Amino acid sequence: MHSFYNFVSGPLAWIAFILFFGGSTYRIVRMLMLVNEKEKFIFTYMSWRYSLRSIFHWIIPFATVNWRRQPVLTVVTFAFHICLMATPIFLLSHVVLWDEAFSISWWTLPDAMADVMTVIVILGAVYFLVRRLTLPEVKFVTSGSDFVILAIVAAPFVTGFFAYHQWLSYPLIMCLHVLAGDIMLAAIPFTRLSHMLFSPFTRAYMGSEFGKVRHARDW
Amino acid sequence: MRNVTLIALSLLIGIVLALTTAWSQDDMTVVDNAAFDNPQRTPSVFVHDEHNEMAEIDDCAKCHHLYEDGKLVEDESSEDQSCSECHDLEGSGDQPSLVKAFHTNCKGCHQEQKKGPIMCGECHIK
Repeated sequence: MHSFYNFVSGPLAWIAFILFFGGSTYRIVRMLMLVNEKEKFIFTYMSWRYSLRSIFHWIIPFATVNWRRQPVLTVVTFAFHICLMATPIFLLSHVVLWDEAFSISWWTLPDAMADVMTVIVILGAVYFLVRRLTLPEVKFVTSGSDFVILAIVAAPFVTGFFAYHQWLSYPLIMCLHVLAGDIMLAAIPFTRLSHMLFSPFTRAYMGSEFGKVRHARDW
Repeated sequence: MRNVTLIALSLLIGIVLALTTAWSQDDMTVVDNAAFDNPQRTPSVFVHDEHNEMAEIDDCAKCHHLYEDGKLVEDESSEDQSCSECHDLEGSGDQPSLVKAFHTNCKGCHQEQKKGPIMCGECHIK
């Protein structure tokens, strides 16, 4: 297990991070070039003010009509996304590894709190799964890949949860956890998980068009 | 008769106390984590004598090293000190924090030797 662990947390982690940062930069640059090529006029009404106004409303729970219309979804999606981002970044055992590898460290969550946040992510993933399977309007826009990316996102948290509690074969679960994290990082730029990169742009575009062209609110 | 009993009893208690202290030294099963205010993990499993026998470590300074002015002092060891006497919780400059000192001392060697635990939960057993 020594060599497998060192492989997934060494070379494979490097590849995952390079794909994540390189791929993200590539996707954003490519998107901007495409807009420049095909719909250059969009730049004439892009506005910082309307962009930020729209982003600001949509990142606050219940600050938009659509958030208020779907209160359960709103609570779940905010809890899910906050925990999804914060848990791995501020997890003590992750920061310990950053410190050992690069002598950099930052504030960390208490383990008991990270444990609860992990459960929130897992329950959120289950909620999204059930939603995709049962709600007709969601089912209609769901394809096989949506289930795959949901699994890609859930996997590091499920394995992390098992590893933290040392259930089943710990070394194997631990290696699978690192592998699952590598896969998720690398998948972000190249799957629908790229909404992590594009959502601010989409929001900025919508906000600008509604604000500057239609003179209307988009929340 | 009462006096004899009293002397015998106090002797017995003295011997038991002395022995248990000696035994507990020998029977070290975890790393002392008393220096941590709010430890997030269980103390690391470490059976001192068994480990060193298996790992064939005779030189105390292999782990109980001594640094002066950032330089390793050869042929000097520090097993009469607590790790926390030099390694504080924050760490400074080249002096790693207590957590990092423990981790790099144990895990670093395990990585070099390609033997022994290297993942969090292999030492911090729940």
